Amino acid sequence: MKRFSIVLAVVMALALAASAGSISGKVSGVSGKSVVYVDTIAGKTFPAPTQHPVMDQKGLLFQPHIMVVEQGTTVDFLNSDNVQHNVFWPSIGGDKKAGHNLGTWPKGEKKSWKFDHPGVASLLCNVHPEMSGYIVVSPTPYFAETDASGVYHIKDVPDGSYTVVAWHEGAKTQSKPVTVKGDTTQDFTLTK
Amino acid sequence: MSKHGRTVFFGVMAILAVVIVVLATPPRTYAIPAFSRLYGTSCSTCHLDFPKLNDFGKAFKDAGFKFPTDDESMLKVPPVLLGAPANKELWPHTIWPGTIPGMPPIGLRMNNYFQVVGANRGNFTGGGVTPPGVGFVPRTDFETGFFSIFTAGNFGSDIAFWVDDDISVAGANGNGGLGDGYLRFVNIGRFAHLPKDALTFRVGQFELDLPFTQARSYNITPYDIYTEANIGAMNALFPQQNVNNTFALADAVQGVEVSGGHQYGGYHYSVAIVNQNTGGPIDAGTNVPTATGGNSGGLGFFSDSNFKDIYGRFSYRFNLEHNAESRHSIQAAGPTGPRDHTYLRLGIYDFYGRSVQRFTGTSATITAREPFYRLGGDFDFGYHGVFNLYGLYMYGHDLNLLPVDGAGAILPLPLQPGLAVGFRNGVPATFSGGFMQADYMVYPWMMLIMRWDSVHSTADLLNGVTNFPFPFNTTRNRLTPGAQFLIHANIKASFEYQIRPQQSVTLGSNGLPIQAFRTNAATAGLEFVY
Repeated sequence: MKRFSIVLAVVMALALAASAGSISGKVSGVSGKSVVYVDTIAGKTFPAPTQHPVMDQKGLLFQPHIMVVEQGTTVDFLNSDNVQHNVFWPSIGGDKKAGHNLGTWPKGEKKSWKFDHPGVASLLCNVHPEMSGYIVVSPTPYFAETDASGVYHIKDVPDGSYTVVAWHEGAKTQSKPVTVKGDTTQDFTLTK
Repeated sequence: MSKHGRTVFFGVMAILAVVIVVLATPPRTYAIPAFSRLYGTSCSTCHLDFPKLNDFGKAFKDAGFKFPTDDESMLKVPPVLLGAPANKELWPHTIWPGTIPGMPPIGLRMNNYFQVVGANRGNFTGGGVTPPGVGFVPRTDFETGFFSIFTAGNFGSDIAFWVDDDISVAGANGNGGLGDGYLRFVNIGRFAHLPKDALTFRVGQFELDLPFTQARSYNITPYDIYTEANIGAMNALFPQQNVNNTFALADAVQGVEVSGGHQYGGYHYSVAIVNQNTGGPIDAGTNVPTATGGNSGGLGFFSDSNFKDIYGRFSYRFNLEHNAESRHSIQAAGPTGPRDHTYLRLGIYDFYGRSVQRFTGTSATITAREPFYRLGGDFDFGYHGVFNLYGLYMYGHDLNLLPVDGAGAILPLPLQPGLAVGFRNGVPATFSGGFMQADYMVYPWMMLIMRWDSVHSTADLLNGVTNFPFPFNTTRNRLTPGAQFLIHANIKASFEYQIRPQQSVTLGSNGLPIQAFRTNAATAGLEFVY
C-alpha cells in the first residue's frame, strides 16, 4: 500500500509537470527592467501569499525601485533613513479609490499594507517629491521581472489560453493573448 | 524760490531719488540647486516657495549646509578627500584632512521684471519745475534683474562656506558685487565640551542675523524699514540735525559673529562685531597697502573709523505640538507626511554703532562721532507650513552733534569749511517702523502674500519726503498684496502691487509738503535657478 501511494504520487507529479508550461520572451523598445504577468483568469482565484516583502526607504530612494507582488500580498514599508519619510500612491491601476497615504513613521519602523487591488501603484513621498517607486500587483501568481536586457521567464504556468501583460516605467502597457502549451515564447515591443 | 529753498528742495529730491532707487532694486533671493544635485533631491526638500526655507531647510542650514544626521549616506555625489581620515592621527606632522564637494556646488540665478507705475508718477516735480537729475519716468518698463552665482557647502570638520556674487557687471543696467562670502565653523563649542550647537563662529562678509532675511527674501520689493537710512532734517524752519548716517540694517557687513541654537526650535542667539562705516567708500592711503592690493590698489578700506559696531540678537521658538517627540523633531509627523511645525517665535535685536563725520575746522579736521542704535523686536507664527504671519518693529536713534563756532554758537547747515571748532548736542534724529506679512500656501506651488510696511521718520517728515498722517503718522507706508507661482520647482513667477497712500513731495511757500499723490506700482517677476 505504501509503495502504491509513492508510485501514485510520482505519477501525479509527472502528470502535473507535463501540463505546466512556461512563458519566456524579451521585452524590447525600452531599456532597463520591465514586468510581465498573466492577467486575471476568469473563474480562478489564488490564495494570498503569507510572506511580506519589504519596500525600504534608504538614501532618499525607494529600494527596490520596482516590486512585483501577487494580489493579496501584504507589503512592509520600512524607513531606514534618519529623515522622516512618507509613502503614498495616488491610485492603483488608474483607480483613484485605491489610492492611499500611509503617513509618517521614524527610522527603523515599518508600516504594512495589503494590496488587494490589481494594477500598478506609483509610490511617492510628499516630502521628497523626486522619490519614485512602483509596486506592480499581479492578479495571478504567474509573473516575472525581466533582467536588464529585457529577458523574462515565467515558470509553472498551466497550459491554457491567457492574456499576458507587459509593463515598463514610463511606457505604454501592452497586452497580448498567449496560448501556453509547454514552453511558450512571447515577445513584447513597448513604446513610450 | 530762494537760494535756501532751492537747497532744501533739491535735497529733498535727492533723498526721494535714493528712495525710488532703493525701492526699485530687487533683493537677492537664493535657493541652492547645487544641493539638489549633490543629494539628488528636489528643491522642496528644503524649501517651501523658494527661497523660503521649511523647517528641514533651516536645520540643513544650521548644520552647515548638510543633512543634520547621516549626511554621508544621503550624498549621491561623494566628496573628494583632501587627505585620508587616518591622517588625523599623524597631525601636526601632516595637514589635517578635509574634503571638498564632489562637484562644484554652484547655482545660477536670473530674473526679469515688468513694472507698471501709476499715471501720476511725474507729479513730484510740482510747480512745473523739473529738478536736475530727475527726468522722465516711463509708465511701463521691462527690467533685467541680476545674474548671480552662488555656492555653498561643507568642507568637512563642520566647516561650512557660502559665497554669492552678482556677476551681471557692465552693460545696460549692469550691477555687480559680492553679497555674502564667509566661512562658518559650526559647533566649535564641542572643543570646550559645550552643549551641541551652542557655539558657532562665522567670519567674512555677511548679512547680519536679522529676524527675517532681506538678502534671501522671496519678496520682489525689500522691507522698507530695512532700507531706512537716517539723514538728518535740513529744513531751516525746524531744529536741524547734523546726521548723515547711510547705514541700513539690510547692508552686508564685514566682521565676525558667534551664534548658537537652532532656527527650527528652541533658543537662538547671535553676536556680531563688524566694521563701522556709515559714510561710504574709504580712499586707501597711497603709502598704506590694503589686504587686497598694493600701495595704491586693492579694494581699499572698509571701515571709516577705529570703532567696531556690534549687533546682538536673541530669539526663542516654541513648537506647539502636543507630542513632545514631535515638538523636538526637525519636522512634525503629520497623518499625511512630515510637515513644518506649528510654532511661535519671539525675538529681540539691537545694533549699536558710532557714525563718523569729518569736517574741515578752523585749524584742523574735526570729527563728529555720533553713536546710533537700531533696536527692535519681532514675532513669527507658522501653521503647518501652510500659513505664516510675521512682523518686525524697529526704533532707530542717532545722536545729533551740531557744529559750533568759537563763541559756541551753532553754525548753519550744510557746514562751510573752516568755521567750526567743535560740536554740541542737538535734537536726536530718530525713526521707527516695521512690517507685517502674511503668507498662505494655497497649493504647494502657489502662495498668496499680503504685506504692510511702515516707516515714520522725523527727518523724512521735516525734509518733506512724505507727510501722511494716517495710519500712526507714518511717513512711508504701503500695502502690498502679491502672489507667487512655481511653474517648476526652480522656476517662479511673482506678482506684487504696491499700494501707497498719499505721499506729497511738492513744497509750498512755507517749505512744508503739499499736493499729495499716490505712486502705486505693479511689478511682475520671472526668475529661474539652476
